[in-house]
Amino acid sequence: MIKKTDQEQGGISRREFLGTSAAAGAASILPTRSEAAPQAAVPSNGVPLSLPPTDEQMARELGDTLPPSTMRAAQRPGSDLIVQVLRDLEIEFVASNPGSSFEGLQESLINYGEIPNVMPEFISAMHEESAVDMAHGYGKSEGRPICALVQGTIGLQHSAMAIYQAYHGRAPMVILVGRDDKHFLQAHTADDVAGIVRSFTKWDAHPETLAEALPAIQEAYRQAVTPPCAPTVVILDTEVQKEEAGDMQVPVYVPPVIPTITEQQADEIAAGLMSAAKPRLSVGRFRTPEGIKRSVELAELVGASVETKSQVGPMSFPQSHPLVGPDADDESDYVLGLEASGAHAALHGPHLRTLTERDLTSINFGGIRPPVRLRRDAPGQNDLTADAEASLPLLISAVKRRANSKSRKTVVLRTRHHTDVNHAARLTAIEAALEKTREGWNASPVSTARIYAELWPLIKDLDWCIGGPSRFSSSHHMQLWDHDKPYSYLGGHPAAALGYGLGAATGAALAARERDRIVINVQTDGDFNYTPGALWTAAHHQLPMLTIMHNNRAWHMELMYVQYMAGVRGRGTDRAHIGTTLRDPYIDYAKLAEGYGVKAEGPIEDPTKLAAALARGVDAVRNGEPYLIDVITQPR
Amino acid sequence: MKTYADKLLMTVSGLLFLMTASAQVEFGPISGDAALGKTSYYDYGCYGCHGFGGIGRKNLANDVSGIMFREDIFLTYLRGRSELNPLFPTQSMPNYPADSLSDADALDIYAYIRTFKDDPPDVEDIPALKAILDGAKAQ
Repeated sequence: MIKKTDQEQGGISRREFLGTSAAAGAASILPTRSEAAPQAAVPSNGVPLSLPPTDEQMARELGDTLPPSTMRAAQRPGSDLIVQVLRDLEIEFVASNPGSSFEGLQESLINYGEIPNVMPEFISAMHEESAVDMAHGYGKSEGRPICALVQGTIGLQHSAMAIYQAYHGRAPMVILVGRDDKHFLQAHTADDVAGIVRSFTKWDAHPETLAEALPAIQEAYRQAVTPPCAPTVVILDTEVQKEEAGDMQVPVYVPPVIPTITEQQADEIAAGLMSAAKPRLSVGRFRTPEGIKRSVELAELVGASVETKSQVGPMSFPQSHPLVGPDADDESDYVLGLEASGAHAALHGPHLRTLTERDLTSINFGGIRPPVRLRRDAPGQNDLTADAEASLPLLISAVKRRANSKSRKTVVLRTRHHTDVNHAARLTAIEAALEKTREGWNASPVSTARIYAELWPLIKDLDWCIGGPSRFSSSHHMQLWDHDKPYSYLGGHPAAALGYGLGAATGAALAARERDRIVINVQTDGDFNYTPGALWTAAHHQLPMLTIMHNNRAWHMELMYVQYMAGVRGRGTDRAHIGTTLRDPYIDYAKLAEGYGVKAEGPIEDPTKLAAALARGVDAVRNGEPYLIDVITQPR
Repeated sequence: MKTYADKLLMTVSGLLFLMTASAQVEFGPISGDAALGKTSYYDYGCYGCHGFGGIGRKNLANDVSGIMFREDIFLTYLRGRSELNPLFPTQSMPNYPADSLSDADALDIYAYIRTFKDDPPDVEDIPALKAILDGAKAQ
C-alpha cells in the first residue's frame, strides 16, 4: 500500500526526518525493503552517524559497474506503464537532470512507445532548480502541469528552492523523485524523502508497488490541478520502476470535481449583475485559459466594465478588450470578483492557506504559513469559497435565463459606452506613459523603458509571452504593451527569491516551441547567475526564447538597501558596492551565452544600437533559436 | 552664531520659497569640479536611485524641485534626515554627514549633477513611441 507520509496520517515530521535520514537501517517509522543496508553506528549520544559509501557503492556511483542485471530483465518494465500514465495525462515534458535512481524511468521515457520521447519529451536541465522552474513557467503559461524528475534527497534538495517558489506561485506540477535504498549510497536515500519539501508542496505519496504507483501519479496530477493548484510529489523506488508489469493495465484517469457555487447563488449573483445600472467584473487569475474565455462571455452578456490583472500575471481578462477600463468601484453599483475582491460578491477558489494542516508541527520553514500579505487578504463577508472558473458556466446560464429584449438593449448601450470611455482612458494612460518613457531616451547606459518600447513594434503582431519577471526592469510593458493572452505575462518571483527568471522563461519557451509563439525574457543579471545553464537547455531543445539582459552589474535592490543603511547610520555610501555589485570583473553575458550554444550579441551601451539588435533577436527566435542580447542598462 | 537648526530653518524657508517660485529663479554659482564629481557620483552610488545621467527612480536631470538651485541648499539637504534633523523631512535618501562626504566632495558632485540635462526627442519623433501611440489610437 502507499506509504502514509502526511503528518496527520502517522508519518514523520521534518525534524524527525532530518534526524533519521542519515540512518538507513536504523529504527524508522517507515519500513525499508533494503536488505543490504549496513547498520549505522550509534554513538553514546544516541544520534546515528551516516555511513561512508562502500567500495561497491562508490564503483556504482562512479559508473565503474553497471546497474544490476535484473533491471534490464523485465519484458514489460513498470516504468513503461509510468510513462503511459504521463502520456495519457498529456504531459508534454519531463524536465530533469539525470540521476542514478531513475535510470529505469529515464530509459522508458526515451525508448518506450511507437514514437518514443514524445508526450512526454525528456528535457535536459543543468540543475534540478532549473527543471522545476521550467515546470513552473510552463504551468503558469498553460495552466496545466508538466513533470520535473529529480534524484531522491540530493536532487530534491537542489530543487527545493524552486519548489518553494512554485508553491507560492500556485503553479501546477508533478515532481517525480527517484529513490534507491537497496543498491546505492546511503546519502542518496531516506525513509521519508518527500519530507524535505512537504511544508511547501500540496500532496505527496511513496507507493511501494507499481500497482500503487500508477494511480498515485494520477492522484498527484489531480491534486496539482485542483485549486489551490500547487506542486505535488511522488517517490518512485527503483524497484517499482523495474518491476515486471505483466498484463497490468493503466487505470482510467478520473478528472477532479472542482467545487462551484450553487445554482441558487449563481442566480442571486446574476440578479445583481442584471439589475445593476453599472455592473463591473474584477478579474484575477484563473486556473486555465478556459476561465478567461468564460469570463469574457459573462462580461459581454452583461455589458459589464472589467478590471483585469493581465498586466501583472497570467490567466486574466484580455487587457485590450473594449470592456476593460478604469471605472472606479464606487461608481459601479454591483461589483463581482472572479478570483479577485468584489464589493458585492467574490468567488475565490480555496487559497493555499487551506493547506495549513500539512506539517504544522514541523520546523515551520515558512512555506505553509500565510504571510502577512495573505492575512490581509482574509475572506470578506461577501466572499464565496468556490472556484470562479468552474462556477462561471452556472453564472452564464443564470444570466442567460434572466436576459430579455430590454436587458439586451441595455447591454448594447453599456458596451458602446464602455468602449468609448475605455478607449479614451487607455489613450490618456498611454500618452502619459510615453512621456515618461521618453525620459532618458538617449541615455547611456540604456534606459529600461527604451528596451520595452523598442521591442513592442517588433513583436506586437506576433504571439508572445513574457516568461520571466519584469519588476526589476520597472515593468514598462505594463503601461506600453497589450496583454491579451493567458500567458502574456507570467508574473514576478512568487516567493521574491532570485534564480527563477531564466528557468521559468525556458519553461514558457517549451510551451511556446509547440505553439508558434515566442518568449521574451528581460533578464536581470543577479537572477541570471543562479542557473545560467538553462541557456544550454534552450539551445539544446531549440527554444524560441529572446533573453535581453537587464545588466546593471549589481544585485541592485540590495545595493540600494545597503546604501540606505549606511546613510541612515551616517557612515557613508562609498563602500556599499561591496557584496552588492557585479564588478571586477564585469561578466560578459554574450560570451557566456555563446559558450552555452546560444547566439548572442553585446554588450550594448549605445542606445541607438538597441533597436537593430532587438530586431535580430526577434528574427532568430521566430526561426526557433534562442538569442541573447546583453544590454548595459540604467539601474532600474 | 547661528545654530545648525537656525541654518536649517533658513534653508528650509528659502527652499520653500524657491520651490514656489521655481520658474523665475536662477540657479546659483558652481564652485566644485564636475570631473571630480563624476567619480564621486559613481563611487558614492548616487546612480543607484538617480540613474547614471540623472534619470532614474528619482530624476535629477532638469530638476526644478529647488534642491539643486544653490549649493547651500544641496548641502543642507544631504546633511539632513528627519530622524536626525526633524525639521528637514527627507526619509527616502541616505544621510550624508560631513565626516562621510566632505563639503568639497559634495560640491564636486553638485557640479556634476548640474551638467545633467535630459532633452529627449518628442514622442512623435521617436519611431517606437509613435508606433505605440498610433497603435493605441487605432484600437
